[in-house]
Amino acid sequence: MTSDVAPVIGVVGNDVPRQIVLAAGARPHRLTGLWDAPADPQWVDLLGGTDPVAATIAEELAATPLDGLLVSNDSQAHLRLFYVLRATGPAVPVHLVDLPRRDSPGARRFLRHQFAALAGFCAEITGRAVDRESLAAAAAAEAALGGELDRLRERRRAEPPTCSGTDALRALLTAMRASPGEAIEAVRAAGRATDGTAGRRIHVTGSNHPDPRAYAALEAAGLVVVSEDHDTGDGAWLGVSATGASVDEVFERLIDAHFARIPAAATGLGSDRARTTRKLATDAGADVVVALIRDLDEAPLWDVADQREALADAGVQLHVEDHIRPGEVAARAAGAAVAVGADVARSEMTP
Amino acid sequence: MSGGPERLDSAVIATAYQKEWFVRTAAAARGGEPLALANADAPHEILRALGIPYVVNQWWSSIISAKRTAAPSLAAVAALGLPDDSRQYDVLPLGAQLLPPEEAPWGGLPEPRFAIAERGGDVTHKIFEQWGRRPGTETFLLSRTGAVPAPVDWWEIVADDWESVFGAERIDLLRDEIAELATWLSERTGRPLDMAVLADILDLANEQAEWNARTRALLAQARPLPVPVTDVIPAVMIPQWHRGTRWAVDAAKRLHDEVAARIDAGAAVHSGERRRLMWIGRGLWSDLEMYRSFQEEFDAVFVWSMYLAIAADGYLRRGPDPLRTLAARFVGLTDLLYVPPMSSSWYAKEALAHGVDGVVHLVADDTPGSALITAALEERGVPVLEIRASNADPRATGGVRERIATFLRDRVPAS
Repeated sequence: MTSDVAPVIGVVGNDVPRQIVLAAGARPHRLTGLWDAPADPQWVDLLGGTDPVAATIAEELAATPLDGLLVSNDSQAHLRLFYVLRATGPAVPVHLVDLPRRDSPGARRFLRHQFAALAGFCAEITGRAVDRESLAAAAAAEAALGGELDRLRERRRAEPPTCSGTDALRALLTAMRASPGEAIEAVRAAGRATDGTAGRRIHVTGSNHPDPRAYAALEAAGLVVVSEDHDTGDGAWLGVSATGASVDEVFERLIDAHFARIPAAATGLGSDRARTTRKLATDAGADVVVALIRDLDEAPLWDVADQREALADAGVQLHVEDHIRPGEVAARAAGAAVAVGADVARSEMTP
Repeated sequence: MSGGPERLDSAVIATAYQKEWFVRTAAAARGGEPLALANADAPHEILRALGIPYVVNQWWSSIISAKRTAAPSLAAVAALGLPDDSRQYDVLPLGAQLLPPEEAPWGGLPEPRFAIAERGGDVTHKIFEQWGRRPGTETFLLSRTGAVPAPVDWWEIVADDWESVFGAERIDLLRDEIAELATWLSERTGRPLDMAVLADILDLANEQAEWNARTRALLAQARPLPVPVTDVIPAVMIPQWHRGTRWAVDAAKRLHDEVAARIDAGAAVHSGERRRLMWIGRGLWSDLEMYRSFQEEFDAVFVWSMYLAIAADGYLRRGPDPLRTLAARFVGLTDLLYVPPMSSSWYAKEALAHGVDGVVHLVADDTPGSALITAALEERGVPVLEIRASNADPRATGGVRERIATFLRDRVPAS
């Protein structure tokens, strides 16, 4: 085990209910990679033609002391990473978390097995079984984080926003790696020093954001990111908890929560994605939606046509920057800002 | 073909049958009979048991490519605002559907009543969602679970001990979803699923797989190669899409008997065979001549493609519960080809069994684990050329012949 107080279990992807990991006495630590890090050519070769961020996650994995690793089957890139790790002899135990997307009795039975297996994997690492009491304690901690996340969303959606998108994303990424207490502090602190941010309000869709680099470039150019629908932002499975009289009941409520999540690009239908983008963007008062899509991250490309149509109906402009290669994101985000008419002079943010 | 044998009757008969079947089926569909478009990894046997003819998405894609209509089909996809550089093999039929009938292969595919696929990868469900928006077409999506467990040497046990190869929970989920699919189809067609009929279909499919295994064993041992791989592919794959019929069993037996006869007669695709090559990946349908183009200069013959080999090892399933047995056939079929160590151990086994001197590995964006397959072969002394391209996109496969020639010159010594 690592020297941390609690064992640390790495998380790849967005399908791991933190409550179960916490209940086993471990700290979940999400690995998101980086937009621009030079990826190890060997990993790029092993993973093949897929979202290049997966290769940077592999590098982050090698540099992060962990006691175990959970990989979500929530994208082809993550699934490939799991397959390659399993086949090449990982440094720590690795477990796939595999959650079907369509609600059905069969899917729920499979999910119950998945959550039980997840709890067993974590307990094997920590030596502490998941039971009703530990799940209740973890639920309380995650619920408190959920409350802070709600307040963060309110600050971002205020007129004018009192937290920049960059600060919010940075806090979310920190929270995904932290204990519940530290996560609450990080989220609570986001935007604390900001009186208000001005700029054209945008919603971000497309690929997820493993780091705040793109947000910083957008906001430096005079935009303010008030919402997003990717899985490292508001779409992250963070601060979600369930209570129940038994372990089985808690798992059942977590299954409900899984099916209620906003659809991600790689797993959702285009129509569902478009509805989600439109609702989140309009609820947040966004003037423009900006899609930033990495090269080889295929799924968001397939959402664009539906999103464009749905947003046009709502009178919201969509700007797309696609096939973004490593090293390009800051420039492409700045280009997007120019294209959507950011008013640099009005920007008061310091991302 | 260096004076090699004539085309296999099995290939000629299968190809002619498929064209005749398509014309007949298309006419029936235009007359109001339900038609399904199914992905290759969907449980076709349910459709057969319900008497619903189906066209396999990837087969139709291969026809579109072979008829050189891939480029306008991709342009039609782009005109919808959808990407034309993603999952081309899966999306070509959607694009071809937008072509005028006179430009589409064989007069075009009638609008299917049903579109059925598994949620493989990040995009398949979105492509089939598009199908479901076409007038008169409804889509059904099945789950696709990750390959846990993933045993090596799976081919030794998968026919009977499929629980341990794929895992009971995964099979349970797909079994339930196949039952849902059957109900969904029955509600729309008024045709109930008869389990006895389904069991008979599964038996026929197993019989077909057993013939394919015998044929593969013959070809693994034969020196020189007696039949061209470009004939074996249609002679295997067309019956594969008619899996579960007596015609398909007879076609598989015909191929076996013809291969055996060619071996007995001392037939050779290329009498000077000195380099035996394996083609890993999907077929290069737009340039089938490529497979024969290295014989004269290099004495190099492609002796292996995945189509016969997976038909021999991948499909056989025996079990008392037809729905569960069918689920066991499809729950991890694609994983056998692409997920290490299942895939890598299998390709290595096949390369050694066929006495392969070199491998051309066509790696598409949607095929994971390619580097581990390559590594497994190289570790066993089999040189590999990786080509990263979609087989269905003619824009991406230029220069393939030149790269293979260089590979043969530099890395594959003649035996």
